[in-house]
Amino acid sequence: MTDAFVSILGKPYGIVLAQLLTATQYTIYLTLIAFLGGGLIGAVVATAKITTSRTARTLASGYIWLFQSVPLLMLLFLLGLGVPRLIGMNINSWLAASVALTLYASAYLSEVWAGAVNGVAKGQWEAGFALGLRFRPVLWTIIAPQALRLAIAPTVGFMVQIIKGTSLAYIIGFHDLMTIGRRWANAPVPGTEPFVIFPLMALIYFCLCFPLSKLSRRLERRLGAVHGADKTAAG
Amino acid sequence: MLRLIEGAGFSIALATIGGIIGFILAVGLASARYFAVPVAAQVAVVYVEFVRNTPLIVQLFFVAFGLPMLLGYAWPFWAHAALALTLNFSAYFAEILRAGLFSIAKGQIEGARALGLPTLLLYRKVIFPQAVAAVFPSLNSQFIFLFLTTGIVAEIGVPDLTNAGLYIDSRTFRSFEVFTVLTIMYVVIAVGFKVVLSLLQRRLFAWQASR
Repeated sequence: MTDAFVSILGKPYGIVLAQLLTATQYTIYLTLIAFLGGGLIGAVVATAKITTSRTARTLASGYIWLFQSVPLLMLLFLLGLGVPRLIGMNINSWLAASVALTLYASAYLSEVWAGAVNGVAKGQWEAGFALGLRFRPVLWTIIAPQALRLAIAPTVGFMVQIIKGTSLAYIIGFHDLMTIGRRWANAPVPGTEPFVIFPLMALIYFCLCFPLSKLSRRLERRLGAVHGADKTAAG
Repeated sequence: MLRLIEGAGFSIALATIGGIIGFILAVGLASARYFAVPVAAQVAVVYVEFVRNTPLIVQLFFVAFGLPMLLGYAWPFWAHAALALTLNFSAYFAEILRAGLFSIAKGQIEGARALGLPTLLLYRKVIFPQAVAAVFPSLNSQFIFLFLTTGIVAEIGVPDLTNAGLYIDSRTFRSFEVFTVLTIMYVVIAVGFKVVLSLLQRRLFAWQASR
């Protein structure tokens, strides 16, 4: 891949851009890991938050509150530096970054999803119960499909938040866009203007994030209008 | 410990500056879009989208290292940090404010027009206060969220809370304890901001309760 860029852009810029794009792949992988992992935990927490059990609800709210109040930077420091020194063992930066971002994502995703379920009109539940259905069938056949409409747009929108969040992982030694960018800024490649790196990095992130936030807003307009969805969005 | 408290004070000051100036900028940006001012409105759209879709840390490096290199000036680090945070906050606030402005009921505008209010006065006295009141809770939570991200400015060597923590960590190597304390401090400050802002809300928008 490097050769292609070098032949198009000339030597220094071609190499750097190729490096940046390679690092961008790691950003994307990390985003996907965090999104899937966070989605899995988030689904469990969201389920706990909408059950009738008060203990489960309190625990779920506590979980969401905790991981929304803790700065992502601190989660990364704790998992990337704190825990390894506590147990006296090195933790792979992939693992630490994935776990931190997964926890971060799970809190926000579970809130979005629980919010979507609560956003479905109360009458829908009552109608289901009036038909003689139990809690679970009502949830899965009546509420969930409607909640899905409300949840899709903010879920897509939150992907942007995760992508931006991955930029912090470099502080614990994760080799992503930021690492390359900082290295280039600190020790400029001969024949390049070092300040170009920042707009370039911003542009790459923008290209990753903007289509998603655009999509999210479109979906919101298309899907949310039906029930007059709650317009609050996290982040 | 003293260093941590100083750092916390710095973080709070930085977030407050960013919040206040960012809000003022956001009013400009959102107003430009509300009135569809030619050029300014388009610039506002591009600016808000760009800031909201790039990580704060990239913006910080751009402001702290990129711009000075390009334009050849040198500011103290805290000024770079304050500028980056202000720009970042303003875009998020502008987006929320815009939503608030466009949510004001048509009847309010028609009513004020019927009373013969000129456009600017109508905006200042009728639309704007209601819009801010409507979105104040969102602004609050956005501010808290943004406050939690300010630790990033430690990366350019500003003596904020995170930086103080990193310093202690590098001296003691008791990372787990240091970052746990740091986390707790961030959470406590965030809760403090929340309380202050909700008090502010009750004072500023007392008229809302009577509706």
